[in-house]
Amino acid sequence: MSVNEQQPQLSDLPPEMLDFNILKATIPLAPRLGRLSLPGRKSILTPAFLGNTSRGAVPHISQDNFRKCTTLNGVYVALEDFIEKMPHKQPPVFQVEGEEPLRQFIALPKETLLVLGARRAPPVPSPAANTNSEVGLYTSVGFRSISSEYFAAAVRNLQPDIVVGLADIPFGQESIGTKRKDKMADRTETWMRDIIAKRKTLEKEERNFNIFAPILPIERDLQSWYLEHLVDDMAAKIHGVAIYDSFLLDGLPEELHHLPRLSFDTPATPQALLRQVNLGVDVFTVPFVTDATDAGIALDFTFPAPAKQDAESNVRQSLGVDMWRTEHALSVTSLTEGCTCYACTKHHRAYVQHLLSAKEMLGWVLIQLHNHAILDAFFAGIRNSIENGSFDNDFAAFEAYYEPALPEKTGQGPRVRGYQFKSEEGQGKVPKKNPKAYKPLMGETDRLKLQAIHGQQPNKKPEVADQIDDEALMGLVDLENMRPEEQLEALEVEDDKS
Amino acid sequence: MAPVPMPSALSFELLGKCSVTKARAATLQLPHGPVPLPIFMPVATQASLKGLTPEQLEDAGCRLCLNNTYHLGLKPGQATLDAIGGAHKFQSWPHNILTDSGGFQMVSLLKLAQVTEEGVRFLSPHDGSPMLLTPEHSISLQNSIGSDIIMQLDDVITTTSPDLARMTEAMERSVRWLDRCIQAHKYPERQNLFCIIQGGLDLDLRRKCTAEMVARDTPGIAIGGLSGGEAKDAYCKVVDTCTGLLPEKKPRYVMGIGYPEDLVVSVALGADMFDCVWPTRTARFGNAITARGVLNLRNAVYSEDFGPIEEGCRCVCCRSQEDGGLGITRAYIYHVTAKETTGAHLLTMHNVQYQLNLMRLVREAIIEDRYPAFLKEFFGKLYDDKSKYPEWAVDALRGVGVDLLSD
Ligand SMILES: [Zn+2]
Ligand SMILES: [Zn+2]
Repeated sequence: MSVNEQQPQLSDLPPEMLDFNILKATIPLAPRLGRLSLPGRKSILTPAFLGNTSRGAVPHISQDNFRKCTTLNGVYVALEDFIEKMPHKQPPVFQVEGEEPLRQFIALPKETLLVLGARRAPPVPSPAANTNSEVGLYTSVGFRSISSEYFAAAVRNLQPDIVVGLADIPFGQESIGTKRKDKMADRTETWMRDIIAKRKTLEKEERNFNIFAPILPIERDLQSWYLEHLVDDMAAKIHGVAIYDSFLLDGLPEELHHLPRLSFDTPATPQALLRQVNLGVDVFTVPFVTDATDAGIALDFTFPAPAKQDAESNVRQSLGVDMWRTEHALSVTSLTEGCTCYACTKHHRAYVQHLLSAKEMLGWVLIQLHNHAILDAFFAGIRNSIENGSFDNDFAAFEAYYEPALPEKTGQGPRVRGYQFKSEEGQGKVPKKNPKAYKPLMGETDRLKLQAIHGQQPNKKPEVADQIDDEALMGLVDLENMRPEEQLEALEVEDDKS
Repeated sequence: MAPVPMPSALSFELLGKCSVTKARAATLQLPHGPVPLPIFMPVATQASLKGLTPEQLEDAGCRLCLNNTYHLGLKPGQATLDAIGGAHKFQSWPHNILTDSGGFQMVSLLKLAQVTEEGVRFLSPHDGSPMLLTPEHSISLQNSIGSDIIMQLDDVITTTSPDLARMTEAMERSVRWLDRCIQAHKYPERQNLFCIIQGGLDLDLRRKCTAEMVARDTPGIAIGGLSGGEAKDAYCKVVDTCTGLLPEKKPRYVMGIGYPEDLVVSVALGADMFDCVWPTRTARFGNAITARGVLNLRNAVYSEDFGPIEEGCRCVCCRSQEDGGLGITRAYIYHVTAKETTGAHLLTMHNVQYQLNLMRLVREAIIEDRYPAFLKEFFGKLYDDKSKYPEWAVDALRGVGVDLLSD
């Protein structure tokens, strides 16, 4: 292992200063090993992934389970999850008093690295286009725009460990014209200068933050000015880069190579993730974990892949197990053999299958814990493989061993959550979430009666409301053809009365 | 016709009695460990408590929770339960489970259900196919579930029904069904069958039913058919009447009760065990139970309230990080409720803790023989003015020697 000589030792660093040690790197555009350290936080060996939060929590994982049942040492948090009250009111998170307001507010453990960006990962396209001075966001109640000044002030107030600089990226736009690309680079540069300027104004006793500079998903030529300025004027003030298109990593100026690379180039599969590792990405947010969980799919892959049982066979293994399938109903085995996660050591497939089909929230909790454990082991395997110098072979063997995509979703997801509504609204129409639960076996009247019994008719008497079947309240039974907002309303009605 | 006394898989140790009210404190030894009485039992309807892991439920102090036979019978079904070896193994819950008979759901299913001497016919809510629930089938299902306490199938009709003849029929049928349940019960040495006293709001019917049920000497006794929307004073009269006729050394379970003021009054009337879905169901919608009443944390006034859900609460959410907790604030609950399932999980933990802790305080007060003072303090906190005390509670407690309105 070679420690990069230019890097100061951890003990020499001022507090809150991020340190990235490249432990093993051969050539540019190759997998590398590193260690991301910040005083007071657990070090993160890279390649690694961050917990991808929604409104401050990794979906389905309450803060106590985060501590007890996961090994996550860092999380990514989006500012847009916290500022829906602006501009009419000051968002509550800014009113938290004391040290590290955002960390306090979301009850994140003290030793967990906190990375803040403007947009969720992945972001939902906002109908509010970015302008020279403002970036469009999508909050839980609709779109908003914030200025670069607002963003910088928010960062100063919230005191994350790392902030991803504002980037002018027109998410959701298929093709971007050259003129627009020029603007992207200009604006991003201006906004980077803003956040760096803000950092300079920090008082001595104020907690510092580390800045990751966006590298735009456009050709190097079209952002060459921006990149030059990053190198010439800002290099000393940035502590990492945020990558939006990992294939453009070869355009990354050499002067920035020592910086940790955080990818927002959303990988759809473990293979896509390996491809990015292969290009030298260090840190990931991995949205497909929660997507798989919501689909009831227990991830089931390891890196390196197991040895092929039958060398002749061309059958590829699935990357996940669809826990909706009734074949698990009697299976008392763990989700993945040998997995040491909470779900696999305490529970079995039969229970998880039951929870999904009963639409009990615990089903998604258990799968989510498992999926994070699988991904954690996957990254540990990647690091080992790089260390051993066998990454290329292991990557090829992985591609040969597993199917190229995650299994198709068959079951119903959990009730769509706030931020999931809008991705569909953004496309202009709401597709059917789930097939109808009831086949028309009965007459309409009987069906309505049954629904009423199962609580789908708002009931005015709380005493009677107590008997309402939970399935109808939390689940999807016969709510699936409503627009999501109506679903939420329908759910709200029930309890506002008790 | 009292059959031979049945074996019991529990022991009931009376620890103290209130010298004024009818409240009792006891320890109930069950097959999966001791539980303190009085007790509130959270309802894990489908073998899961609203997103909490069994460990989280355990951490909240729960040692006895409910599963619903009706739901488990449909999903995962009896064959699965048999194959896996019962509900404890199925949900990895090392502590006690109580199951209802499936009959409770009949109150709501009644419009589509048909009750005959044989059992209850109804349409499956899942596919509309006809189903029949008999006393034998209910016990067989509960035997497969393996719950520590099982309930007889009873003929439940709403207490507010004006039809005395039907009410009498239901009461008498419930007695006959108990006999069939006792006959059908395969594991009396490891599962405790509780009878259920019926009779609506008619105190004479209740007295008659109580005598019949007590004669059958089940390990525990439930008072059923309540919580169906009857007036609270009528409810109290029924509980008071029944407990007055019950043997001292058996646990008394009032089904479907869970509002804090109902719990403390029912304990004063001599009841020991309670269950209700309300505390956990309501958590999902942002309702936090506190000593000062229920707060709906979805109300914007809490969006900037950075205090704990309830000051002084010992649940993992409310305790500060310095104190080994999470330091979750009302503002954060406001932030996530109805948007992330985590919001429900957090508030569910708080609400379960509140209910269990309330019963712990009740028990301490009884053992130290200061329950009347506890009641006064409880209502004093819950309502800012005595004029707001519910009349039914004042009357019911006056009936057992506590005048809430005196100083
Ligand atoms: Zn696992
Ligand atoms: Zn609490």
